[in-house]
Amino acid sequence: MPARSPSATPPATNRAGPTDSRAELIELDALGPGGPFRSRNRLPITDLAGLPIAELSLVPSLYVHRAIAALRAAEPLSTADRLAALARAGESFATETVAELSVDEYSHAVSRISGMPISVVRHATETTWRALLGAGRDARQARPRASVDDWHDPATQGGRAVWTRRGEVFAVHAAGNHPGVHALWPQALALGYRVAVRPSRREPLTAHRLITALRAAGFGADQVAYLPTDHAVADEIIKAADLAMVYGGDDVVAKYGADPTVLVQGPGRSKILLAGEDWQRHLDTLVDSIGDEGGTACVNATAVFTDSDPGGLAAALAERLAAIPTLPPEDDRAVLPCQPTEQAAALERFLLDHAAGTTPRLGGAGITDPVAGGGVALRPAVFQVNRADAAQTGIELGFPCVWVAPWAPADGIGPLRNSLVLTALTHDERLLDQLIADPTISNVYIGDHPTYWMRPDVPHDGYLGEFLMRTKTVLRD
Amino acid sequence: MTTLHRDPVLDGPVDLIPDEIELIEAAMRWHFDPRTGSPFWLEQADTLGFDPREDIHTIDDLARFPNIVDRLRYVPAGDLIPRGYAGQDDAVYGVYDSGGTTGPPKHVVIMSDWMSRLLVRTDEEMDARDYPRGVDWLALAPSGPHMFGAIVRETVRLRGRLGFMVDLDPRWVKKCIAAGRADHADQYADHIVAQARAVLESQDIGVLIATPPLLERLVRDEELRRLIAERVQVVEWGGAHLDPDTRYLLRTEVLPHTRIIGRYGSTMVLASAIERDGLAPDDPCIFDSFSPFVTFRVVDPESGEPVPYGSRGRVVMNHVSKSALLPNNLERDEATRIEPPLGRVGDSVADVSPVAVFGDSPVIEGVY
Repeated sequence: MPARSPSATPPATNRAGPTDSRAELIELDALGPGGPFRSRNRLPITDLAGLPIAELSLVPSLYVHRAIAALRAAEPLSTADRLAALARAGESFATETVAELSVDEYSHAVSRISGMPISVVRHATETTWRALLGAGRDARQARPRASVDDWHDPATQGGRAVWTRRGEVFAVHAAGNHPGVHALWPQALALGYRVAVRPSRREPLTAHRLITALRAAGFGADQVAYLPTDHAVADEIIKAADLAMVYGGDDVVAKYGADPTVLVQGPGRSKILLAGEDWQRHLDTLVDSIGDEGGTACVNATAVFTDSDPGGLAAALAERLAAIPTLPPEDDRAVLPCQPTEQAAALERFLLDHAAGTTPRLGGAGITDPVAGGGVALRPAVFQVNRADAAQTGIELGFPCVWVAPWAPADGIGPLRNSLVLTALTHDERLLDQLIADPTISNVYIGDHPTYWMRPDVPHDGYLGEFLMRTKTVLRD
Repeated sequence: MTTLHRDPVLDGPVDLIPDEIELIEAAMRWHFDPRTGSPFWLEQADTLGFDPREDIHTIDDLARFPNIVDRLRYVPAGDLIPRGYAGQDDAVYGVYDSGGTTGPPKHVVIMSDWMSRLLVRTDEEMDARDYPRGVDWLALAPSGPHMFGAIVRETVRLRGRLGFMVDLDPRWVKKCIAAGRADHADQYADHIVAQARAVLESQDIGVLIATPPLLERLVRDEELRRLIAERVQVVEWGGAHLDPDTRYLLRTEVLPHTRIIGRYGSTMVLASAIERDGLAPDDPCIFDSFSPFVTFRVVDPESGEPVPYGSRGRVVMNHVSKSALLPNNLERDEATRIEPPLGRVGDSVADVSPVAVFGDSPVIEGVY
């Protein structure tokens, strides 16, 4: 019984271009089992200058529960149909007008709302397209080799492992730090899950665009849902779904870490270690690891450890990073992320408070720099700490901010632990053995590879399929 | 033998609505006359800085009173009984508590004459909204120290047949939530829903009363939703806020053929206001108070001045009757100020919600 009130379906509008300051608000309706739902409780989504750009329809708990019940009751599409729809959706997401926004209008709006450099948004759009094209193949990378996909496989006649879902409905509390976070969860659709996404209020556009495209490509309204909520209702999505993925900091890890039905995507705290290597030769990789993607990603380097000349390294990084220009995010050449002024000021205070006792090499007097059109750029920061185990090396912030630390073999791998990515520039095999064996380090890149290196067929933080699927024995005549 | 004090206005026929000024002036004479007023108010009289019997004539004048409700946590509740009731049999209906959301509960005393007046009014309101007569009711409502359970019981006796009650203790729920044990609160809610299910499955319930969160839990279960949709003619919600989107969904999608009627009450006015008749699912949910006995004002909390009609403000409540005087109580609710129905005084209120908490504390560390 879908809602069919006059307000339930948004009227078609002629939206003015992004340069028109009188442009209508982008309406981000919830996308539930009854189609688009424009709620009475709408959250204004503003740009860097505080001007409203969009309105997000926040849905109440009852809507969430009914939507997830509808997803659970629905049958998944056939595997072939799922993969075809994912591919079609990827193409339209990346090349067509979706939800009344062209690709350019979408990218512009995301950069104005989130402050993400527009080139990063465009690149993420391409990445997401490729991820949707390959979602079926990539998801299956996690399948144990001894198992088959379908119980009809002749192998089950003698008894065989079959790879099956652990549940039916998968919920995602998405992050708003980077539009690329939406490249991962579509793998769940490839595996036959029905998926409910709660967008981040920091950047709710990408999920809306992607889910609109998925629906147009063949996923029914009972297959994938867009459920914006306030904080109070957010937990209801996780409670109602079978499995969930949640992005967040240490607080989220503490809240859900022990729950076997929740996959926590916690802090990245990616790091680089130079041991027995001359940092001068790797400066490009170091700078890119810190500043690529605007420094907003969990795979950006938060700390660099070196066994030789940390002072010289910090100074060289500072010099290179200082050359990045301050530009508004919608400028094609922009590299740095921007934020609304007040929010950035709080971030700056936090950084400077926590940097007390360290040696500032860049950004010690502040990191904010006003940009045309409102808001401020977050300029790079380089701080040198005097011990490998300085607490600051774990402080990950959403812009190019790095802590340079001394490291000696006697420090061991302790300071390198708890890393999403660790780039190890070393030939010490015994050290590499320890790093690869350590369960708190998710990925190890050996040699001159940036921390942000990714390919969808290798795990990002384990394979999503490891969490979503299980094996069971099927034996038949 | 004590003289029975009767007042032509305060003791007027139970179905007669007195004039605003006549009621207020009569009540001021009653509550501030040493022969008839309560020890509580007579003790306050000297500290007011004005003479209520001379200076208070209208609902608006009640704003001159201090907000005394916090004192109701500590004063002997017997001191709230007007002396003028002395010697009258069955004068006291009962003593009840506020919910106890903030600190120790506040006590109020309800006199029997107010309960009679309230029930007559409730009966009329229900007739106007086509509540069925002679049917069985199910109320998921707090009894014990809470007034609401008592009013439901009286209402069922007046116009229903059997009243099935599922008790609930809102203080325990609040305690669980304050202690960060949402899981315990969930378990408790499940316990209540299970009891309601047993009644709904075996009894032919015509009127269902529940708080919005419990109603939501009932209808999340498709079997219970169907049972309610098939049998229940009126669902009445109250005791907590219902957001406009949930109300819209309930009325259009979840229970489209059931009458869903809201009630906004407060122990501190010894009454509740029922949803205005004839509102569409997308209209603001307007509550009209039982004026002039119970009146609302919607004000700017900083200045205390009324906000314009259609604007949001904080709700101030007054209760003025022979039974009690509870003036100028600034509630923690926000509402839209609405013009009262013709011939009524004070404000009507719409889309009542808890005071908005602005600004999530900014999350600073981390990239998400």
